[in-house]
Amino acid sequence: MADIYTLGMDLGSTTSKGVVLKNGKEVIGSSIIDAGAGTTGPQRAFEACLKDAGVDRSQISNITATGYGRNSFEPADLVISELSAHALGVHTMYPDARTLLDIGGQDSKVMSIGKNGRLDNFLMNDKCAAGTGRFLEVMAKVLEVGVADLKDLEAKAEQTVSVSSTCTVFAESEVISQLAKGADIPGLVRGICTSVAAKAASLVKRLGVEEPVYMTGGVARNTGVVKALERELGVKITVSQIQQLNGAFGAAVYGFGRVK
Amino acid sequence: MSDVRKNMDALRAIAESPRKQLDRVLAEGKKAVGVIPYFAPEELVYAAGMVPFGMWGAETQVSESKRYFPAFYCSIIHTALDLGIKGEYDGLSAVMIPLTCDTLKGMGANWRYGVKNIPVIDVAYAQNRTIPAGEEFTEGQFKKIRGQVEEIAGVKITDMALAKANKVYNENRKECLRFTELAASHPQTVSLTDRAMVLKARYFVERDAHTALIKELNDALEVLPEEKAKGSRIVTTGIIADSPELLGILQDNGFTIAADQITHESVDFRSLADETIDPVMALVKRLSGIKGTSVLFDPAKSRNTELAEIAKAAKADGVLWVLTKFCDPEEFDYVPAKKILDEAGIPMLQIEIDQQMVNYEQIRTAIETFKDML
Ligand code: SF4
Repeated sequence: MADIYTLGMDLGSTTSKGVVLKNGKEVIGSSIIDAGAGTTGPQRAFEACLKDAGVDRSQISNITATGYGRNSFEPADLVISELSAHALGVHTMYPDARTLLDIGGQDSKVMSIGKNGRLDNFLMNDKCAAGTGRFLEVMAKVLEVGVADLKDLEAKAEQTVSVSSTCTVFAESEVISQLAKGADIPGLVRGICTSVAAKAASLVKRLGVEEPVYMTGGVARNTGVVKALERELGVKITVSQIQQLNGAFGAAVYGFGRVK
Repeated sequence: MSDVRKNMDALRAIAESPRKQLDRVLAEGKKAVGVIPYFAPEELVYAAGMVPFGMWGAETQVSESKRYFPAFYCSIIHTALDLGIKGEYDGLSAVMIPLTCDTLKGMGANWRYGVKNIPVIDVAYAQNRTIPAGEEFTEGQFKKIRGQVEEIAGVKITDMALAKANKVYNENRKECLRFTELAASHPQTVSLTDRAMVLKARYFVERDAHTALIKELNDALEVLPEEKAKGSRIVTTGIIADSPELLGILQDNGFTIAADQITHESVDFRSLADETIDPVMALVKRLSGIKGTSVLFDPAKSRNTELAEIAKAAKADGVLWVLTKFCDPEEFDYVPAKKILDEAGIPMLQIEIDQQMVNYEQIRTAIETFKDML
């Protein structure tokens, strides 16, 4: 039987991600472009993942889009909500997953997944940047470092300089005044990671924590936040090996199910 | 079919133009009295020959009301007060303001200060509305309000006129209820927005006029063959759920409202006034009997068990909890309700709505996911 290729696109507010899947299982190409819905990002991510996979668009049996920009992505054959895509993605890769926390650039969401892979319940954060990647971006800017450097700084921390978790704007001025007081930078970074974790953990607690807990999304790359979350929730968290690509992967799996 | 569309359009036009309706009433030389939620005895207004005019806020951005209420108060009172200050309700002879929740308790004083040209009729009920002492208190309040309404109207409200008002309102309630059932069995013909607007129209015209229109609509719908729902059947619950954006998203995702427990809709018209007893007492007893809302004190919290019962009876696939942002009574009810529904195996989605909302993308995502879940 000929191979079946499906393509999933996850068009977030700050990044566009694509995955090409072979026979519903094997990821043969992917792309992450730092430009989200409404920019050239989606198209670029689309072309880049095809190129990475080394397949032509005509070989793709189904294109499924998910994420904030899903409804405006013209090449899509199907669209699914990002929560459904994430649940399907994590279940396919880690069938034992019961709770998934995804923290992206602008939002965070938590999902309970049943034994059969069904999405049982979910919650999304309210209209607030606290507890999302945006919070880390704002703080990195204040500290004049890259977002990717935060995890290395946090690893050096010997103490925690506490930072508020309720409001990004307040927290930003708190961090500025801590800097002015000459606060220990690694300790401050740990405080920032703890703040994101505290906000995200409250969402997880509202839904109910059932182990095993997995984490996806761009913020999962920050080990400082992951460790702080483990402390807040008192459970072990496994970061998905495809992190940011989980939504696109889930969309491609969904497309495969439809083609089959 | 064309009768159905014609009637629905007529009712929608009313629901979508409250100010025009008020202008028409005033041009006819009638007086109108504003009625802020919840469950004010507006039958007294009708019995005095005036027109009650519902004030459930509006989808608008507020500016003036923020001088009186903090930003974290619900949008119903914010938008109602804001429109009042901006003169949108000018022409009303008075406004009835119940004191049902903590937010509304401040409304009377703020209204008196901000909207000086429209006098306030305070509407107080007993918290313990179902016990004899509570009913006695409420009866006393309603008699006092009767006097205030008479003064504004310049006429005496006879018992006969009030009994007639109760009858008119009961007839309207029955037709509204009948309509919700017909709308559920004709989801292709009656869109979710049609459904909401047909019901909402009753707040802006004389009740008998609304009854005439909705009855004609019901009769026309009844002879049409039943239609199959495209997707899942849900029960909605909450204070108000008339946002066209929200309803449009539900419609896009194939949902049918099998039944509702919305205070602005069925909760209001499910409870009838007893036409065999003293007409003031009938109003009191109706209030005692209202179930399914967070805004009237109910120590047993029967709203939540009732919700599960409604969902089962309507063979609904799930429940949509439409939370009015910053509404404490609703927030308090959610937790026990969620537990009861979980135990009954009924999936529930909570979304938060605000009449000043402009971006519905997150709600769209939540609703699409809920559809997949069901
Ligand atoms: S019951 Fe809730 S929505 Fe209604 S006025 Fe009070 S706070 Fe606002």
